[in-house]
Amino acid sequence: MFNAETLMVLIPALPLAATLFVGLFGFVLLKQRSHIPVIAALVASFVFSLFLLREVTRETAREEGYASVGVEKLVRLWTWADIEDAYRQGEDGEGVERPFDIDVTLRADPLTAIMLSMVTFISTLVAIYAVGYMHGDPGYPRFFAYVSLFVFSMTMLVSVSNFVLLYVFWEAVGLCSYLLIGYWYEKPEAAAAGKKAFLVNRVGDFGFALGLFLIWTTYGTLNFHDVGADGALLSAAAEANDEVAIRGVLGQSRLHDPAKSYVGGGVGLAICLCLLAGACGKSAQFPLHVWLPDAMEGPTPVSALIHAATMVTAGVYMCTRCTPLFAASPEAQAAVAVVGGFTALLAGLIALTQNDLKRVMAYSTVSQLGYMFLAVGTGLLTGIGAGMFHLFTHAFFKALLFLASGSVMHAMGGNCDMLRFSGLRRIMPWTHGTFLAGALALCGVFPFAGFYSKDAILAAVHDRGHHDFVLLAGSSLEFSLYETLYYAGMFTAFLTAIYTFRAFFMTFYGDTRVPPEAGHHAHESPPSMIGPLVILAGFALLVGMAANYYGFVNFLHHTPSLAFSGLPAGSHDEAAHAQVEGLSTILALSGIGIAAFLYLGERRQLEKLSLWMRAAKLYEVSFYKLSFNKFFIDPIYNALIVAPLRLLANASYWCDQKLVDGLVNFSGRMPRLFGAMLRPLQNGLLQFYALAMMLGLVVLIGTLLMWPAS
Amino acid sequence: MDEVQLLERFLMVGALLFGIGLVGFLSRRNMIVMFLAAEMMLQGISVSLVGWGRFHNDWGGQILVIFILAVAACEAAIALALVLMLFHRSGKLDVAVWQSIRESNQPKFVDQQLPEEPAAVEHWPVLPQSGVEPELPVEEMIHRSHV
Amino acid sequence: MTSLQAIVAASVLLGAGLWLLLPRGGSTGRGLGALLAAIALGLFAYVVVRIDPEHKIGDAVFLLLAATTIVSAIGAVTLRSPVYCAIWFALTLLGTAGLFLYQGAQFLGVATVVVYAGAILVTFLFVLMLAQPKGLTAYDRVSWEGMLSAATGAVLVGLLSAIVFAPPPVEGAPSGSLAGAAAGRVSAADRDAEILSPQHMAHLGGQLFSRHLIAVEVAGTLLLVALVGAVAIVAQGKAAAGAAALQEGRQHG
Repeated sequence: MFNAETLMVLIPALPLAATLFVGLFGFVLLKQRSHIPVIAALVASFVFSLFLLREVTRETAREEGYASVGVEKLVRLWTWADIEDAYRQGEDGEGVERPFDIDVTLRADPLTAIMLSMVTFISTLVAIYAVGYMHGDPGYPRFFAYVSLFVFSMTMLVSVSNFVLLYVFWEAVGLCSYLLIGYWYEKPEAAAAGKKAFLVNRVGDFGFALGLFLIWTTYGTLNFHDVGADGALLSAAAEANDEVAIRGVLGQSRLHDPAKSYVGGGVGLAICLCLLAGACGKSAQFPLHVWLPDAMEGPTPVSALIHAATMVTAGVYMCTRCTPLFAASPEAQAAVAVVGGFTALLAGLIALTQNDLKRVMAYSTVSQLGYMFLAVGTGLLTGIGAGMFHLFTHAFFKALLFLASGSVMHAMGGNCDMLRFSGLRRIMPWTHGTFLAGALALCGVFPFAGFYSKDAILAAVHDRGHHDFVLLAGSSLEFSLYETLYYAGMFTAFLTAIYTFRAFFMTFYGDTRVPPEAGHHAHESPPSMIGPLVILAGFALLVGMAANYYGFVNFLHHTPSLAFSGLPAGSHDEAAHAQVEGLSTILALSGIGIAAFLYLGERRQLEKLSLWMRAAKLYEVSFYKLSFNKFFIDPIYNALIVAPLRLLANASYWCDQKLVDGLVNFSGRMPRLFGAMLRPLQNGLLQFYALAMMLGLVVLIGTLLMWPAS
Repeated sequence: MDEVQLLERFLMVGALLFGIGLVGFLSRRNMIVMFLAAEMMLQGISVSLVGWGRFHNDWGGQILVIFILAVAACEAAIALALVLMLFHRSGKLDVAVWQSIRESNQPKFVDQQLPEEPAAVEHWPVLPQSGVEPELPVEEMIHRSHV
Repeated sequence: MTSLQAIVAASVLLGAGLWLLLPRGGSTGRGLGALLAAIALGLFAYVVVRIDPEHKIGDAVFLLLAATTIVSAIGAVTLRSPVYCAIWFALTLLGTAGLFLYQGAQFLGVATVVVYAGAILVTFLFVLMLAQPKGLTAYDRVSWEGMLSAATGAVLVGLLSAIVFAPPPVEGAPSGSLAGAAAGRVSAADRDAEILSPQHMAHLGGQLFSRHLIAVEVAGTLLLVALVGAVAIVAQGKAAAGAAALQEGRQHG
């Protein structure tokens, strides 16, 4: 119907048009019908994304035949900046001059196509769900305008072909996140959570910006793609002998010879760590994960769309996109893996004891994102593919879990404290069923989606563990980093099963209790909410099998960033994979079993356990307290960062108020001082004015008389 | 007669009239008296103008005085109307009552308090009695409101 | 005594005399004030008047008229009762009219009596009758900054007379500015033909209605406008005053 270039432009353009339309006319014309243009645009975007995916698939199939470095399609919209001779020193220290140009160029390759399909699909379902969830909200048009603005930003984020534009839309999705977290801005917690998300993201984005500067000085361009001598775009399909004027950071000319093109060592490590900082901020990895649980103050569809399925995966996408940069610096890859593995474990531990349903899901998201980073950090094609695969499947089942939680919350009158309700399976059978599907997928139980993706990650990490990266080599504490991370990942899988089913049992089993706020709302949600849940449950069940892992990795392999020769492929050891799968399934099932033992039924075991902990004085100091208080990370940040900053700000404020303003006010008071001296002259008495006038006349005449004009 | 001396005399008279009128305008607080003083200043100017007109053998001086007369008549009409209106507002002809154009934080001008002056005992001429005294209310006869 | 010294002395005395004469709450020192003012006037006369033996009667008439004018002017300004002020001002006007006649300005002399004394002053008296509260009011018994205003007036008179009688030396101009300025420029015959001609009124009327016709028309329009304006002010002012009084009554009540 359309060629690929048109599709690439239309996919982000339609949500943007919907944003403008709803933003301009939402409150005036559309009101409670504001979802119509947005959903129409999102559906169309999704359909176009599928067309684009088909186009790209066709290209990859054609490419199989001959050696190449991936499939990419580029379309240049316009040139944003075009500065000649902006760069004066070459990479090799010679006086090379380079122009600085920002091509507003969209790209399509397997990575982008997958992200686009996933984003538009999830956002379509979430928008449909939100029709029911947000029904009657006074800011209804605003909500849909924000959502479609977010979809525009996210689709642009994954399809731009330039680091500056990546940064722009990185900020744009952050802005949408801020706006939607603080959507109920009258609520102080929501406003504070929005601010927190924005500020914590600033920390990461600062690192990201520094990374961009380093890339610019190191590589001399910020474009992903190559630009020919005549200014034409050179995509993968271009002739190999075309002269390349500007070698893009992720361009074909560099990818042909990665060993020479990519800078390793200190500079490479610095670039990668800066990018990692940005990714940590956006994807809520330790130590910048603190904003995501608070972000649950936003409406639940937003939590599902932005804070579970799409925006938070931008960091993973970025690391995947920059794989050639990371491949040049194994230490940076190890850092990515460590951050991911540690975050996964930490968030899993915290999630064990949280009582807020949405918060459990939030920590679970942080934990799963940690898995993705761990996978990307392996630096193996299988690992990165597994990470992207997990990103893909996780989007479905985590969105499902959030939407199901939202359904619960909707029925419970905005309450999601699991201590206050239970036994909801009798009231909400559909929500119960779909939540169960999502929970099984999250735990990685065969044949649900999580089983394939999570096990692929663990297998890849295990695989990498064979390969080395030994720390403290030679000493008695020598250990293999990836081996350690593999065990951490396994343990996290076990924790995942426990906390997921803890939440599940606490919410849906036991005596039927409903908090008083629920009122007459305590019933199953409307069809517009159940429909997306059922669809997502179907996907959570099937998507792992349907999008076969090896097929997925093969497809992804055609992305230029992943197709270059420097990337180790990783082994396809089926036996080892099966071993990992078996182990993780056993762990997941035992986790579910423990959760059932403690939380199903009368919960006597739980009471016994807590009594035992009390008796053993474990309760006071134990892990429970640490976990319940989220390892005291927020208070520590408060004491170490927020409080000194606030002190500094207060000091500056005082200086500004007392010193600077004092000076300014003093100079402002001077005229008033002089005025005060002359003020008594204006006493309002007519004769005084006449007298003054006459005295002036006398002085004039006297002067004329004394010093006559000659 | 020496025309120069004549001019000098009239200028002197004009200056004196102007100066005395000025003193009256500046110091008297009754609005009507102030207005009289202003008219007096106009008279001083008129005298000077007529003197100069004669000296220069020019009609301009006298014609200007005629216009002064016309303008003074207009002025009198409007000013007296305004004075009447102000009197209706405050019950006083005192110009110091109207001081609201002063700066907002300036204190109000307060009059010095004068000791009450005992009303002068007025002796009205009395006709010697003749004939039969008519029955008239004496109080009404000797009552004079004010001068 | 030179003219300048005499003028300075006369100004000082006039200022002091006027200050003493102005109402100050009591009546002490008024006699002294009158004396000082009289001496000041005498000094001014000494400066101005050079008795010409040939025109003794003319000089005497002038002195009489001038004295009447100035003395009644002082009275009009200093007396406490506004009615007396108005009456003394009428005398000033009569003196002024006499001075006009003395100058040969017959029409102006008559017009001053008719318009000023006859019309304007009577209007004053009517307004006084309408507005003057009973008895002597406090504001008639005091003057505002009497000393300063008397001084200002006296200094102004002194300066004006000094310009005429003791002019500062100007380079290239003959001393005695007025004498040098115009003496002999206009001959007596010219004057008799023009400003002192027997057909005074005819000449004046001819000038008014030829050269100054537009100004006359404008002055007439001005009179009409003033008439309408005065009526409007009084009519609206009464309504406003009534409303204000009503409001005040409400506030107090």
